[in-house]
Amino acid sequence: MFNYLIRRLLYAIPILLGVMLISFVLSFVVQSPESRARMQLGQRATPKSVAAWLHQRGLDKPRFLNTAKDAPLLDSQFFNHLGKLVTFELGVSDVSGRDLKEVFREGALPSLLITLPAFLGGLALAISLALYQVFVRHSLADSLGSILAVALMSVPAMVYIIFGQAVIALAFNYFPAFGFDLSGWSTAKFILLPVALMAVMGLGGDVRLFRAIFLEEIAQDYVRTAQAKGVSNARLLFVHVLKNGMIALITLIVAQLPLLVMGSLLVENFFGIPGLGNTLVLAIRQGDHATVFASVYLGAILYLMGLILTDICYALVDPRIRLS
Amino acid sequence: MIPVDVTAAFQRGLGMVLGLVLIAGCGNDPNPRPLRKTRPDGSPWLVMYSGMPEEPRSLDPQVAYDQMSRRILEPVVETLLEYHPFKTAPYEVVPALLSEIPRRELQADGSVTYLCKLKPGISYVDDPCFPGGKGRELVAADVHYAFQRICDPKVGCPVFGNLAEYIRGMSQLYERAKKNGDQLDYSEKLSGLEVIDSHTFKLHLLKPYPQIIYWLALHFTAPVAREAVEYYDGKPHTDGPGGRERIRPKFAWHPVGTGPFVLHEYRPGHLIRLARNERYQTTVFPEEGWAPEKESLLRPFAGRNLPLVDEVLFTMFREELPVVLLSRQGYLDEMRVGKDAFNSFVTPSLKLDQKYASRGMSLEKNVELSTFYMSLDMQDPVLGPNLKLRQALSCAHDTQAGIDIFRNGVPPVAQQLIAPGIFGFQPGFRNPYGFNLEKARQLMVEAGYPGGRDPKTGRPLELTMDVNATGAQERQVAEFNQRQFQQLGIQVKIVENTFARMLEKEDQGNFQIASGTGWGADYPDPENFFFLFYGKNFPPEGKNISRYRNPEFDRLFEQMATMENSPERLEIVQKMNAILVEDCPVILEMNKAFYVVVQPFSPRVQNNTLLEGGLKYAWIDHPLREQKRREWNPVPLWPLGVGVALMMGAVFYSVRWNRRLDV
Repeated sequence: MFNYLIRRLLYAIPILLGVMLISFVLSFVVQSPESRARMQLGQRATPKSVAAWLHQRGLDKPRFLNTAKDAPLLDSQFFNHLGKLVTFELGVSDVSGRDLKEVFREGALPSLLITLPAFLGGLALAISLALYQVFVRHSLADSLGSILAVALMSVPAMVYIIFGQAVIALAFNYFPAFGFDLSGWSTAKFILLPVALMAVMGLGGDVRLFRAIFLEEIAQDYVRTAQAKGVSNARLLFVHVLKNGMIALITLIVAQLPLLVMGSLLVENFFGIPGLGNTLVLAIRQGDHATVFASVYLGAILYLMGLILTDICYALVDPRIRLS
Repeated sequence: MIPVDVTAAFQRGLGMVLGLVLIAGCGNDPNPRPLRKTRPDGSPWLVMYSGMPEEPRSLDPQVAYDQMSRRILEPVVETLLEYHPFKTAPYEVVPALLSEIPRRELQADGSVTYLCKLKPGISYVDDPCFPGGKGRELVAADVHYAFQRICDPKVGCPVFGNLAEYIRGMSQLYERAKKNGDQLDYSEKLSGLEVIDSHTFKLHLLKPYPQIIYWLALHFTAPVAREAVEYYDGKPHTDGPGGRERIRPKFAWHPVGTGPFVLHEYRPGHLIRLARNERYQTTVFPEEGWAPEKESLLRPFAGRNLPLVDEVLFTMFREELPVVLLSRQGYLDEMRVGKDAFNSFVTPSLKLDQKYASRGMSLEKNVELSTFYMSLDMQDPVLGPNLKLRQALSCAHDTQAGIDIFRNGVPPVAQQLIAPGIFGFQPGFRNPYGFNLEKARQLMVEAGYPGGRDPKTGRPLELTMDVNATGAQERQVAEFNQRQFQQLGIQVKIVENTFARMLEKEDQGNFQIASGTGWGADYPDPENFFFLFYGKNFPPEGKNISRYRNPEFDRLFEQMATMENSPERLEIVQKMNAILVEDCPVILEMNKAFYVVVQPFSPRVQNNTLLEGGLKYAWIDHPLREQKRREWNPVPLWPLGVGVALMMGAVFYSVRWNRRLDV
């Protein structure tokens, strides 16, 4: 197990390097440093002020290799940037100048407040509905459930948000249409609607998948044996089928867990939740490349962590799998 | 058989729904709790709820330049002078921190001195940067320090070049700092700002520059407490709670001023909260100057202490939908009508939709101090020497049609370079080269291109139009403009550019027609528009993108720029305007404008577009707002009933199904 972990961690290094290289190159395709300087400095920007802005941020150095005489070869934008990220020196925001560690620390809690309940609630709901469908399998309710699940899958995320804001928040006035205030229990009124919408957004696909997994399980020999032994339907579903079906679900669940910290770009933006998803959207809009790079870097690390965790969980829950 | 307890399931379901109802009972108010509920005298604590589409870029008075930064900064950092909130035609500057408008003294050597006196007894807000946390009195040395900061290369003041041209010693101070590795020696005095005593200073200009008065109404010249800049350094200090180390914010994000508000809370990407500066007494509500129709609304405020509201809460909205929803619910006190919401709020006849008008809302139009145009390169061998061709292009462009299609008909067509409300603007003036297709065709004949064809080659004249194409609409606008010119029989090729490439081309003069150029005024003076066509103001250092050079225009500019407003100056401005529209170095398009939906409980006290710090005049009718919010936000219970019924139905169905199973 230990060797496997070390090997996986070593594999992660070239992937991270690749992510950083691609995001670095893309940032220049999207917006050149000169363009960023002009945007930040406004209509009175002069070549001198643009040059000073670039110099202050080290953006006047060569992109990849510094071939200037007497200059260190790696004293370039990419390698300086790489060096900082590797040592987790995230630096400061290009726009606000705020310490990015502080920015991420502040944004993580609001993000988790919506993504974690949405993830867990959505998962519980999807498992319950899938089990319900399996329980009433091949009935009218099962067919209606499947049609509804496909319909839920087909609806774009924006439609859920507009429905939530325009109907639940505006027409029924149950929840705020926008906003966030971290103030004890009253925070609940701000997160309930986004959490519910996020849970429903992924529900269709999850129910379809989980139903298929549980149906496969329920057709296994051990289920028939259990039925023959007189095990009740409830115990059959909630103990035998659910437990064995969960092995297949682990991959899907654990891989997503670390990424929950990064929040949701769409929901946070539309509901004004000051989480990390919102931070990233704002950074992209403002051309705040330091924040974008740091977000992508952290996202990549968390994704890799998720994959490694999935492998470990597999080995833990299924005795047939050995990591060697 | 699954032992299903229907009663228990029903109770659980009902409990969940009731729980949701209870939480919903907290209300749908999206705004964070105010700092207080009541004032010390028991009256309601007035909070104004507003929105911002973008983040401020800096709250450093010597650096901030964008509108969002000014919106937050100017209520916190009071300026030496300020714009009168109601007098906008023409705009008028009145004292703020200064006790009176500075007097100009012309010196024998042609230089000019302004004697400035600060009002006594003005204090900075209480802040940990001051000894004992108690704000000290504002003194003339703070103004001197602010002017030194303008010269500091490390501060990076965007208007240094403009001021250094006129204020004595600024360039030298800057150059010495540059030579010293960008380190400015703050012990060295700026000769252009002479501190006479604690509350008096003199501003020495190298030459007459009446516009300096407007610069004193901008935050760039607002006094700064040196203690604040030194304290808020963005570095770790062991003065956190319990002696723990904490990073102090940078001064750029923690302004310390003497204004009517204090920056109480700033959560980037989320909200900004301003709170009343309890010690503010610099200005009071004006006694006159408002429009007659606002007499009954504003008279009761005359002479009252400012600010009128106790707290202002800005929420960051990057999408328009939440702004619309919250305004409809009464949770936002003002709403700028954006493109997406336009059709639901504004009728085709540019009136407020009846469903909102019946709620007591109203619609107000704001015209910004800006003029937008297409620049023609005067050094281009085809366009430069051919006056008639430029005039023909100007006549061929149906600007009003473009505004109707792409901007809902809101902005007015610009008939002259100077924006409305600025000295020299002629309300009745009509651009002689405005849209007139027949005239355009005739001018093409006079230009030597009858029917748009070059007689030498017999082929249509070909021109290129550079556009900053960042989205679908920009492309559509470019195609619309292309069609306008092609009506003359000429061929116009569209060249799409990124933002940076477009600026590069403008700087290099590497274009024939540059679309989407324009200028937003820094201050309400014709000089701030005409300098765009001054012959010594070519890019990259200057902003004369068209590279227009006319000796007569330049002579008049130099004369006009240093004059006080007077009938003689007005005559010169009108002459310059006539020269410019005749020469057509640009195709005039529009003055940017937008609509604002005004809530019945939040009347617009003032709409001076130059007065970003005008929040101190804002007022809210608190009881009416509470009443409207209750009326506009009823909570229906039937959807909850439907939800419960559906859940119950599913439970009963499963119970019945379970009974049918034969296992």
